[in-house]
Amino acid sequence: MVSVLPALDGLPPAAYAAALAGLPGVGPGWLVAVLAERSPREAWAAVLAGEIGPPVRGRPRPGAHEWAGAAGRLDVAGQWERCRRAGIGVCWPGSPGYPDVLGQGPAPAGVLFSAGALDRLGDRRRVAIVGTRRCTPDGTDIAYRLGYDLADAGVCVISGLALGIDGAAHAGALAAGREAGDRSGGDGGDGGEVDGPVVGGTVGVAASGVDVVYPRQHAGLWREMVRVGAILSETPPGHPAQAWRFPSRNRLIAGLAEIVVVVECHSKGGSWHTVEAAIKRGVEVGAVPGSVRSAASVGTNRLLHEGATPVRGAQDVLDALGVFDVLRARPQASGPTSPTSPASPASPASPASPASASGPMRTMEDVVLAAVGWRPLCLDEVVERSGLPLAAVVIALDHLEEKGALGAEEGWWVRKAH
Amino acid sequence: MLATVSSATLVGVDGHAVSVEVHVSNGLPGFRVVGLPDTSCREARDRVRAALISSGFNWPQKRITVNLAPSGLRKAGSGLDLAVALGVLAADAQIGTAPLAGLAFIAELGLDGSLRRVPGLLPLVAASGEEGVVVPPSCGREACLVGRALTRTAPTLMALVQALRGQAPWPELPPGPEPVEASTVPDLAEVRGQPLGRRALEVAAAGGHHLLMVGPAGAGKTMLAARLPGLLPALSADQALEVAMVHSAAGLDVAAGALCLRPPFRSPHHSASAVSLIGGGGARLRPGEISCAHNGVLFLDELAEFPAGVLDNLRQPLEEGRVVVCRATGTVAFPARFMLVAAMNACRCDADGSPGSCRCSSAARSRYVARLSGPLLDRFDLRVRVPRPLVEDLLRPGGPAGEGASEASATVAARVCDARGRARQRGAPANAQLPAWRLDDVAPVSAGGRRLLERRLREGRLSARGLDRVRRVALTVADLAGDEPPLGEEHILVALALRAPGEEGPGAWHEPVASYGTPAEARPW
Repeated sequence: MVSVLPALDGLPPAAYAAALAGLPGVGPGWLVAVLAERSPREAWAAVLAGEIGPPVRGRPRPGAHEWAGAAGRLDVAGQWERCRRAGIGVCWPGSPGYPDVLGQGPAPAGVLFSAGALDRLGDRRRVAIVGTRRCTPDGTDIAYRLGYDLADAGVCVISGLALGIDGAAHAGALAAGREAGDRSGGDGGDGGEVDGPVVGGTVGVAASGVDVVYPRQHAGLWREMVRVGAILSETPPGHPAQAWRFPSRNRLIAGLAEIVVVVECHSKGGSWHTVEAAIKRGVEVGAVPGSVRSAASVGTNRLLHEGATPVRGAQDVLDALGVFDVLRARPQASGPTSPTSPASPASPASPASPASASGPMRTMEDVVLAAVGWRPLCLDEVVERSGLPLAAVVIALDHLEEKGALGAEEGWWVRKAH
Repeated sequence: MLATVSSATLVGVDGHAVSVEVHVSNGLPGFRVVGLPDTSCREARDRVRAALISSGFNWPQKRITVNLAPSGLRKAGSGLDLAVALGVLAADAQIGTAPLAGLAFIAELGLDGSLRRVPGLLPLVAASGEEGVVVPPSCGREACLVGRALTRTAPTLMALVQALRGQAPWPELPPGPEPVEASTVPDLAEVRGQPLGRRALEVAAAGGHHLLMVGPAGAGKTMLAARLPGLLPALSADQALEVAMVHSAAGLDVAAGALCLRPPFRSPHHSASAVSLIGGGGARLRPGEISCAHNGVLFLDELAEFPAGVLDNLRQPLEEGRVVVCRATGTVAFPARFMLVAAMNACRCDADGSPGSCRCSSAARSRYVARLSGPLLDRFDLRVRVPRPLVEDLLRPGGPAGEGASEASATVAARVCDARGRARQRGAPANAQLPAWRLDDVAPVSAGGRRLLERRLREGRLSARGLDRVRRVALTVADLAGDEPPLGEEHILVALALRAPGEEGPGAWHEPVASYGTPAEARPW
């Protein structure tokens, strides 16, 4: 055992912190407790010497000695080399770069691994946008828009890199950064930041190691997150996500955020972990209202009923943060869609533009538009509700879609607010 | 002494003439069958012997050799029994050889000397090279379908021999059962609501397009499919005969009396094996369900529950209209030009498929959908979502003739018949079979339609491969509406609507998984 110790010399403390996090059966609680008393190098030496046993869950396990042996076989230098080469940062309670917000609260973060530029997090306002993976097209649309607008307003968007709402929120925030970069570059540039996003940016909290893409569908998103945002995880690099890591990851999302916005969630699911963690930490919870008939809005509507902050758009979040008038202050000219009037979000049911010509087609479109509600309808239902022949309905739908009064998502039609 | 008797044997769905040569000579008593008989054919030995003895004939205590010529062809089944028995009698000089000339004998023998039916009688009769044929009484009418000059039946071997000897007149053909009046196909008027499903069914019937219906249980997918035979035009006599031949070879009941002009409708259960679907089997290669659905409809309910490997076998037959089954015992081509109609749920949890309603995890959902291969999905020209009917529709008063009743099968069938007529004038039996190179010629697109297609192609909502299929469907839609090409916007829009949801297959029938709006699409909400 003693002969191992000399080989440990020459490695920075971060290498030992990473090694501690990679020990079998180790969670954030144990890491925080161990690193509170010792430096990472001392803690590692103590583990090898058998002075510190494995975390005890329930009754003590007999294999403390074997555990120390397993620790001895761990390739500390190799793992550190891997982190270094991949540009993965390591921080732990008390080390520079460790987000203070995560050290406070009920379950502080242990050793954190990060890819990308985590230091951008510090000076920004932070909002988490979370929700179900089984979301509606409308849900991803809202999450995307919310991510875009918040990032555009300089708020850092935090989410969990999952399919559905999470991914859409990240994608929106990334798009806002890209657009802002194009704007400043395209307009001749009025100085400011040269590299990286001009606006809030986005941080993803992963349940797998920061170099293990999960879910695979998000490989592209993952790459871009590392490039312009940051990915954070308690799981050592190279380790896949275990089931217990997900609720654990959700508590980090809640811990990092000043407000947690739930876009869509079912009556059960991971979003509730995030919400509970937020409540424990005294973080404000917001929810996007949805149709009472949509299964994907059951959870958010319940949250609203129980007193969560209603979130109709980015402005509501900014108001809650105490950031006023950012959207209106920004130049509208080269914005993504230049919303008609951010002050009055949903003008009531008159989506057709007055410019369109009158005539028999016009009335047919009105009938079809009236038939399509705010709940997604499939074509069959539109035909039944409108009472028009199929050919007339598809023509009217095509025209309405071109005008933007309706949207079709994989064959489901839904009206759009203007 | 030698005698030769004509008969036939079945290979796949085709009959082959066989001459049964029987040689009776002095020597050690024995009975040998040569010429590649299979087991049931070789067992003729025991049946023939018992039948002869119980019919009151002598069994020659001599050396009997039976050769089934051509000896290179594998013989299967018991249809040669009668020919062997008569050959033995003739070779033993118990009957003369002259009356046997010009007749082919196709029947299995019972131990009591009775004549029994064999599967594949129609192709066997068609293949026999003689001008007359002798079959069991129960198949008399069936054999007449082929149009032989002379069809004889006899209930037993003894009665047959007496008729051959001229001691008794030939028994009358038993009267066939009354032709079944348009076997009861349920009427489309019974289906409430479902405008899109009904339309898809009509277009499928008119254009011969393959149809996939996706929807929750109880939406009426099976109900719709069961009404398809009532919409299809009646078969021509030639087609009906093809169908009857295949059905006969498969051992199915062939409607006696008259050819059934109604297209066949086959709906195998999803536990079907590849062989039962495609054809194949033991010594005798049998046609599978797809061949039984030849010139008709193959309905696969719960498509996603079929094993993936089984389904992928359908790809080649769908393309070629026939299937070639190769085995060590031989290679057989079965006809298989059928219309594929399939129904499935959008996912295993059987939600109605609307966004957000599904309780499946994304992994479970992709697993469910991954059971259908892309190439197979691509072969469905029509893909419609069939939602549960509206409550108002279900409770609407009135039966088939009542107030606000749905359109009846007969009305739709008349439109379908007209549309098929137009397709025939263009030289293809149905629009689905129009070759791509003829589309520009027979289905030009109007300027408005071209703009529409261009927009969809640019937006990536239509693939190049889907383009031809949409044009074929649009042509059928125009045919049904009585419009002449060029294809207008309305035809193409309806065709696109019937090909919903897009090109991605049912995987995308729920919400998209990992595609989010790009900034250009970002919309205020």
